[in-house]
Amino acid sequence: MSPSSNAAAASSRSDDRVAVRMEGVDKWFGDFQALKGIDLEVANGERIVVCGPSGSGKSTLIRCLNRLEAIQQGRIFVDGIELTAGAQNVEVIRREVGMVFQQFNLFPHMTVLENCTLAPMRVRGMSRAQAEQTARGYLERVRIPEQADKYPAQLSGGEQQRVAIARALCMSPKLMLFDEPTSALDPEMVKEVLDTMLDLANEGMTMLCVTHEMGFARRVADRIIFMDRGEIVEVAPPADFFERPESERTRAFLGQISTY
Amino acid sequence: MLRSFGWNEIWFIVTAIQWTLILSAIAFGGGALGGLLIALSRVSRTSVLRHAAQGFIRVFQGTPLLLQLFVIFFGLNAFGIVVQPLTAASIALTLHASAFLGEIWRGCIEAVPKSQSEASWSMGLSYRDRMRYVVLPQAARIGVAPTVGFLVQLLKETSLASIIGFVEITRAGQIISNVTFEPFKVFSLVAALYFVLCWPLTLLARRMERRFALSGRS
Repeated sequence: MSPSSNAAAASSRSDDRVAVRMEGVDKWFGDFQALKGIDLEVANGERIVVCGPSGSGKSTLIRCLNRLEAIQQGRIFVDGIELTAGAQNVEVIRREVGMVFQQFNLFPHMTVLENCTLAPMRVRGMSRAQAEQTARGYLERVRIPEQADKYPAQLSGGEQQRVAIARALCMSPKLMLFDEPTSALDPEMVKEVLDTMLDLANEGMTMLCVTHEMGFARRVADRIIFMDRGEIVEVAPPADFFERPESERTRAFLGQISTY
Repeated sequence: MLRSFGWNEIWFIVTAIQWTLILSAIAFGGGALGGLLIALSRVSRTSVLRHAAQGFIRVFQGTPLLLQLFVIFFGLNAFGIVVQPLTAASIALTLHASAFLGEIWRGCIEAVPKSQSEASWSMGLSYRDRMRYVVLPQAARIGVAPTVGFLVQLLKETSLASIIGFVEITRAGQIISNVTFEPFKVFSLVAALYFVLCWPLTLLARRMERRFALSGRS
């Protein structure tokens, strides 16, 4: 494919195959360059795990995809719409992109059910009955239907994170972003959240996960992206990534994390 | 023509409480509305709004309330606009309360973690919905105690309106003091009345502070 036909495909909405496309993305925090010339294409239904040492820019990368971070250079397309072409598009894209945060970010003054119905009612214009039915369905799927009327503070960390996943799913997103979803959890709660994410992956959701859970990456990812110092160093399927890492930096990283 | 400080005189002062309360209510109501606008402007992304609100706050926090009263009362009268003392006092105290509540509430809004806004943005909530359903309800919990605290202050500050001739309890006390020459008794009574009005509010503020301190656990 020639470069020009590539660009044409990316900017048209008709290409249903591409979920995310980043072209030459640079991101600065003051004098610090967090992302350096990022090029990335994610297909619909693809499950991507982003890993790398802390400060490598992996969280920043996915936070750019729903414009929680603005970029200074380059173009980003999500679901065929150019994110970087105006505020109007940002709103449209945010509706279609779900995000799960390290610290859950549930609304503490609302019940679990209210957390899950707010955006569907306000953004999608669903009726309360409809939104609650949808929410209960997703709470069932993340296996906490009985907690619907509790407040977040009454739940364990693992339960809160599953609520956060359900809340994002209630918007029927086309793409899910996970920003270190298990890093703030007690060890015994990591599995229940990963199981939920695994279910989601098996149902064909397009996912970008920043995580340190290499077992999850090995099992779920179609491709693993390794980042270091704001650059994508290596992109490979799990088997190649773990068994035959190409880059010296990847090998050093894997050597450090798999000691135990 | 010296009168004694009897029940009639006491009653005159006590009934003036209504004017202290009315002026406090107007100033607090108007100040709440103005304060919300000021607070939202202060955290706005539009720099013109931010700067305008900041300028407003600087002016009203940086000058004595008494002079704000004078400027509005005498100033408007000087321009040929006749204002009653109640009107002038209401305007001055409303502007004053707007500035202070605006600054208090700005702090409360900023005390709501940014992650709450990020969650709202990530779901596509509009500015209005984010403020209305996510940020302001949480800011309100943080703001209850300092707001009641400010209300106590405001209620006492209505006494300054006596100087432009508005008959609330302080002015009523002055009038009675002038005709009875019993300033110590009269102003002790006036002070006691302020205390009776403010003390329950102070208790309320403390109780709310404790309640929200407990329920504030994440």
